[in-house]
Amino acid sequence: MAETVSNGIEQSTTAEPGFSLKNRLIGIARVSPTMAAGVLIVVAFGFMALFAEFLMPHDPVSAYHDRVLQPPSAEHWFGTDGNGMDVFSRVIYGAKFGFGIAIPAVLLAIVIGVPVGLIAGYRGGFLDEVLMRFFDGLRVFPSIILALAVVAATGQSLLNVVLVLGFLDSPVFARLVRSEVLALRSSVFVESAKAAGNPTWRILFIHLLPNAVQGAMAQTAVRAAWAVRISATLAFLGVGIQAPTPEWGAMIRQGAEFMVTGQWWVALFPGIALILLVFGLNLFGDGLQDLTDPRRRAAK
Amino acid sequence: MSLLEVENLRTHFISRDIDNQIRVAKALNDVSFRLEAGKVLGFVGETGAGKSLTAQSICGLLRPPARIVGGSVLFDGQDLIEMPQEELNALRGDQIAMVVQNPRTSLDPLTRIGDQLVRIHQAHTGGPVTASRGRALDMMQAVGIPDPANRSNAWPHELSGGMAQRVLIAMALMNNPKLLIADEPTTGLDVTVQAQILDLMKGLTERFGMAMIIITHDLGIVAHYSDEIAVMFAGTIVESGPVREVFAKPDHPYTRSLIASTPEKLQIGGGAKLGGQPPDLYNLPSGCPLRTRCTFAEDVCATPPTRKQIGGGHYSVCHFSGALPEGGGPQ
Amino acid sequence: MSFTRFLVRRTLTVIPLLLGVVFITFMLIRVGGLDPVGQLAGPTATQAEFDMIREELGLDKPLWQQFLIYTGNVMQGDLGESWLSNRPVLDDMLERAVISLELLFWGVGLGALIGIPVGLRAAFRPNGKFDQTTRVLSLLGFSIPTYWLGLVMIFVFFYLLDWAPPAIGRIGLMIFPPDTVTGSYLIDGLLAAEWEAAWSATTHLILPVICLAIVSAAPIIKQTRAIALEVLSSETVRYARACGLPERTVRKLVFRNSAVPILTFVGTEVTGLVGTMSLIEYVFAWGGLGQYGLNAIVRGDFTAVQGYVLALALFSVLVFLVVDIIVHLIEPRSELS
Repeated sequence: MAETVSNGIEQSTTAEPGFSLKNRLIGIARVSPTMAAGVLIVVAFGFMALFAEFLMPHDPVSAYHDRVLQPPSAEHWFGTDGNGMDVFSRVIYGAKFGFGIAIPAVLLAIVIGVPVGLIAGYRGGFLDEVLMRFFDGLRVFPSIILALAVVAATGQSLLNVVLVLGFLDSPVFARLVRSEVLALRSSVFVESAKAAGNPTWRILFIHLLPNAVQGAMAQTAVRAAWAVRISATLAFLGVGIQAPTPEWGAMIRQGAEFMVTGQWWVALFPGIALILLVFGLNLFGDGLQDLTDPRRRAAK
Repeated sequence: MSLLEVENLRTHFISRDIDNQIRVAKALNDVSFRLEAGKVLGFVGETGAGKSLTAQSICGLLRPPARIVGGSVLFDGQDLIEMPQEELNALRGDQIAMVVQNPRTSLDPLTRIGDQLVRIHQAHTGGPVTASRGRALDMMQAVGIPDPANRSNAWPHELSGGMAQRVLIAMALMNNPKLLIADEPTTGLDVTVQAQILDLMKGLTERFGMAMIIITHDLGIVAHYSDEIAVMFAGTIVESGPVREVFAKPDHPYTRSLIASTPEKLQIGGGAKLGGQPPDLYNLPSGCPLRTRCTFAEDVCATPPTRKQIGGGHYSVCHFSGALPEGGGPQ
Repeated sequence: MSFTRFLVRRTLTVIPLLLGVVFITFMLIRVGGLDPVGQLAGPTATQAEFDMIREELGLDKPLWQQFLIYTGNVMQGDLGESWLSNRPVLDDMLERAVISLELLFWGVGLGALIGIPVGLRAAFRPNGKFDQTTRVLSLLGFSIPTYWLGLVMIFVFFYLLDWAPPAIGRIGLMIFPPDTVTGSYLIDGLLAAEWEAAWSATTHLILPVICLAIVSAAPIIKQTRAIALEVLSSETVRYARACGLPERTVRKLVFRNSAVPILTFVGTEVTGLVGTMSLIEYVFAWGGLGQYGLNAIVRGDFTAVQGYVLALALFSVLVFLVVDIIVHLIEPRSELS
């Protein structure tokens, strides 16, 4: 230990080292090894989603009627389900749904939430009050139940799932941006931008936005994890996405009945894939919060 | 033997940044001073000079990434740096007591003040709780809290800042300490209350025979209440000595500038004001840390200056100690 | 401020929130393009029958009138009739509420019992081995889908090991449930000294309770750690250390000062867990309010969905209220606010 310390003193007393990507990566991995693991997992799943067509040994929705509910074998690594479909191929294909729902849903939440937070925080007054009360009102409903009920009520389609998740998640971003804007609103640089005669939209989007958005951005990975989880839950209940779509939640639904009869592979593998992706996103998000919160970092 | 002898104390902040580089802030560099029993020593200096850090290093209250990397602290003949944590903990609040800056937020919000006084007495002195309770009332009386029996039932949030500071002083007195460290004890208080609190503490040191260290950025407080002064800059004591002597013949350019910048009519030596930012502890200039701001600086200042005695107990750390023109240099 | 005055004032603040909740619940069904009339009338209905039902339900009136009528009905406890059970939704829900509350109580209780000490221990040594491990485990807990965990537990403990009873309901099929006193088979069984029933109820509770405890412990660990870390770096604790208080006393102080924020968090969490719990009920065929609500959603019984969502929101509001009252009672500083 003493050696590294003395070594470090030498480094810091010599000229400031230039930015090196390698050192930055090592540094991040040191500050948050869990984040590095999370990024790896997410990237692996992203790879799976992009190249699913090349990775799947079978068609995920073609049924082999002679091979129903077969246990894992060399031919079917994760076995076959009640329709005789290859679980391994379906699990790989499911990654497409994970990303395909989470990414647009989070983007939508940002596109709605960030401007709302900007305007509410900057304008304040009645508009702000009403919006915050509305968000408070939404908060007393458990998010999963609200999502379920709204999707069920507005019509069950994949697009609807994305829209509902994005809408329900937007208050998270609105709140974060709003509190940042409130803190920045009367700061010197905003005042001087106002004095220089900048129009409001310019102050909002050119001056405030870049400074207010960091905290919200740190949340994106965690929110994506939430979106993946909730969308799978909807599919598990048969709301929004229906079997035999190769979506993980829908596959767990299909496998549920076989859990009590011993064909565990049908529900087990999609569940593990779902956990891994959500876990990876959560690890990633937790690390992001570490990096953007200097207090959490200083404790290292 | 002095009550407290600090020798070449060095404390660094050692951390790794996001680029995996170790960064070291040299927050205390070879701090040395002595304090005799019953005397009052005043530490002055700007924010970040290392006054509070010196106190924390002495008491073993450093938190990562700060750590002591060298030197010794002798209190009553015992080395506090080598001492195991539990023993040091037993010493704190007992023989070495502290009074801190924000009394209202420092007290335990969920315990009545009387119980907090009893708690610190029980933790160190022990004995029957009724005795602790009696002592608590006595000490509240001693620090001028009216109606102690009633006030001991108060919650911290019910006290004014001045009253809360009196409670902290009473806490410090509970176990009859030999040394009282007051870290910016009056910073958050009204000016009128400030004087009351300082008068009180000064009086108590005499009454209980305690030594005291006052940490402040207010030169007036040091001039008024302490016997000795230590001027800190960038983690170093640049000048120290008896208060009268130092104010009469300030030697170090930094001391001169401090005295020159006090609004009161204290300046005797005079000297040019030094502007500029406090130095970056991560990247201290070689040699004298003041040289980038000092109007007297010459080439020799790029080498580290040594500590020189220039009078009875009066020390200064400057290449030109005793050689600078009186009454200020080039403007 | 006297306690009664606090109570009255705090309760009054709930009213605008309740109005908002009723409004959101009302809109929930109206935003969808779905027509409950079609559902009620069936595929063979004539236009006249349609209109009659429409009028009966008040759907021919303008939206604001419908909202007023709905609010009025809700205030009188009339939540409409379930299309699935042909009974008043309120009756359906009241019957099942205790069943769900029992599960929630044990699950969150166990979760808090695990989560709070673990979070505290992690905070006392931040970035130590224990902290790193529990941090990863709690993130894993965040990531496990409740229903899947339930299914895997059923597979392992019922199918493979045969330790647990089949996951159908709350008591063995061959056992007569005890007379209803509280609605909880376990407590009623104990009260009536029907040990067999109480035991059977307990064995049926174990898996869902563990499942809920795992899911609820994860956020409690994370939040407790964050709260305790905050307290540990506070001036209060720094001063306590400067006073040389023994480590045990300091820990006690940290715990006491963390108690209120932890309690507030657990309260908030309970309200969110109600949603998660409904999935556990669904998987274990628990027959409580959660399963009722999910069934209503999946089957499109919109009156029941509306009632269920409203009930959950009211439950949240009630929990927040109770937490605030407890905090007021144990926190000396609250007299100021």
